[in-house]
Amino acid sequence: MFNFLAYPMANVMLLFYNYLGNSTVAAIAALTLLINLLVLPLNLSQQRQARQMQDMQPKLQKLQKKYANDKERLAQEQMKLYQEVGINPLGGCLPLLIQLPIWFGLINAIRYCIPSTPLDLFQFSQHIYKWLPGVVGLVPLQSTFLGMDLGLPPNPVQWWSYSLPILVFATSWLQQKLLTPPTPTDDQSQTAMMNRQMQIMMPLMMIFFTLQYSTGLSIYFIISSVIRVAQHYLVRQGNDKQNDKSNS
Amino acid sequence: MTPYQICEENESLNRRRIRSRSIGLAVLAVLLLVGVSGCAGGAVQTTSWTGLTVVEDKLYVADLQQVVVLNADDAEVVWSFPGSEEEGGGMWLSQEELAKSTRGAVFYVAPAVGDGYVIVASQAPSTSMLGQPRNIIWGLNPETGRWWHFDDARGQYIEGGAIGGGLFVIGNSDNNVYALDVESGLLKWVFETGHRVWATPLIVSDTVYIGSMDHHLYALELESGRVKWDFQAAGAFAGTPALGDGTLYVGAFDDQFYAIDAGTGSERWRFKGQNWFWGSPVVHDGVVYAADVAGVVYALDAKTGAEVWRQAVESPVRAGLALAENGSQLFVGSQDGTLRALATADGFVMWSRESDGQVLSTPVVDEGILYELLLYSSQRLRALHVENGRDVWVYPPVVEEE
Repeated sequence: MFNFLAYPMANVMLLFYNYLGNSTVAAIAALTLLINLLVLPLNLSQQRQARQMQDMQPKLQKLQKKYANDKERLAQEQMKLYQEVGINPLGGCLPLLIQLPIWFGLINAIRYCIPSTPLDLFQFSQHIYKWLPGVVGLVPLQSTFLGMDLGLPPNPVQWWSYSLPILVFATSWLQQKLLTPPTPTDDQSQTAMMNRQMQIMMPLMMIFFTLQYSTGLSIYFIISSVIRVAQHYLVRQGNDKQNDKSNS
Repeated sequence: MTPYQICEENESLNRRRIRSRSIGLAVLAVLLLVGVSGCAGGAVQTTSWTGLTVVEDKLYVADLQQVVVLNADDAEVVWSFPGSEEEGGGMWLSQEELAKSTRGAVFYVAPAVGDGYVIVASQAPSTSMLGQPRNIIWGLNPETGRWWHFDDARGQYIEGGAIGGGLFVIGNSDNNVYALDVESGLLKWVFETGHRVWATPLIVSDTVYIGSMDHHLYALELESGRVKWDFQAAGAFAGTPALGDGTLYVGAFDDQFYAIDAGTGSERWRFKGQNWFWGSPVVHDGVVYAADVAGVVYALDAKTGAEVWRQAVESPVRAGLALAENGSQLFVGSQDGTLRALATADGFVMWSRESDGQVLSTPVVDEGILYELLLYSSQRLRALHVENGRDVWVYPPVVEEE
């Protein structure tokens, strides 16, 4: 279904593998960087919104105090405020929806490049872009990394492979915490509750994926989360400098 | 109920609704992902093609849920494994033991038959959520009822093994080649390669020739598993070599077809195809026949590698080729479910038979009958007349509706 994404991704992975010393992990890391670069405008806009959300917290708190006994009015006023500032309050869910097709494509791309079943390999054999330099003969890619088989899900025989889902959970939780628009703990609006739920649901979902699919996908998740966190700090630093300038 | 209580109740209802909505969203995403990646459903997902061996008027078929032994004449079931008492199964272990060891197991790999034993491989799903699938080799002696099993390998068996010198040799996805004693199932030696081993070995006298995904074709001492020589290509080896006049013929995933000296491992010639060479070639009367995944069949001079003819079958070919016993026809199965008979003289298509499945397994010719396995079809196995491709029988037999 998502092979229109998977085949190009798999071929780009082959290209990186060829130029990065035949290292599968380096190829996945390079592909992750590329994907993140492509979705950078979206990420930046999301981070900008998060920042705006943070800035409008005092106003939100004021509204909560004002309409403490009228929940319906509070929701209306909050929505009005969001619209005035131009914020999508469901910002926490948006990255998930946009990333889903990319995940689907990537899961299949890893399955094709590091296949654990012959039917996957046979299917991909007819979709290798032979005009790319050095890709002929590369598939299947070297699948062993630190004694783990990157083409297989974590398993008890390679017990240390379970460290990857744990890392995925930790980095994804950190990413969610930093990037989801902050809401006061006493904010009981639908949006605030939804965002709070997503902060824990997303990492849990990630851990589910990583236990089911090849460990190569875990590498993508971890690197991707680290990039987002780094991006967040860079954007914040940039904003702080801008604020300092405008204040002075 | 006071207005405050009503408000509190509404709020709690609202919270529950939001919680269930977010959980629903996450569950939906999970289901989508699982579904899209093809892992949904309780049934075992097909991940490979099945295998067939024909020995002395008997067909040994890996038939996904079981290994079944059929009479070559009429496809009557002789025995099956695992199987009910009625089907001639259950003679190996008690029904209870059998059910425990083979629950949900799939059988893809072509059975190896020799030294009185039928050796099959199964993959059974893990019994726990975080466990691994169990990959088991079963050695069955239908005469004595003796049996053994070997479950040390950590990966899946993709292609069948070979029997020679009292040993059963098979490659595994855990990068290893295993050699087991045919009678006891005891491990004699293990040879570790640098990648998955998906090729069936070729045993000739005291040597095992086996290709690995690590781009090497190895010649190993049958007795000890020590390397005699290894040949490195620029792509993976997944097919079984064919031997003729001291030369091994085998293709690789670097789109090259190689002729290699069987004694020294030195290259004699190579030929460039259009895509990977996966299925095993055949050699006859100074000509070697091979097909690549692009669906092109080549006839090459066995001595020089010069092209004699080529024929495009217009569908990807994964399976190895089969040759008629008189050498006049070459049989090619392809992904579109068609089996073609090509004249070995010039590649002319003499006849073809279509099916509603895919032909990814190597067909077998025995006593004027061609046996082909079908994947994704209600017919698992067909026996065809070599001369014209007409049905002799199909398995499972077609049940006429009254």
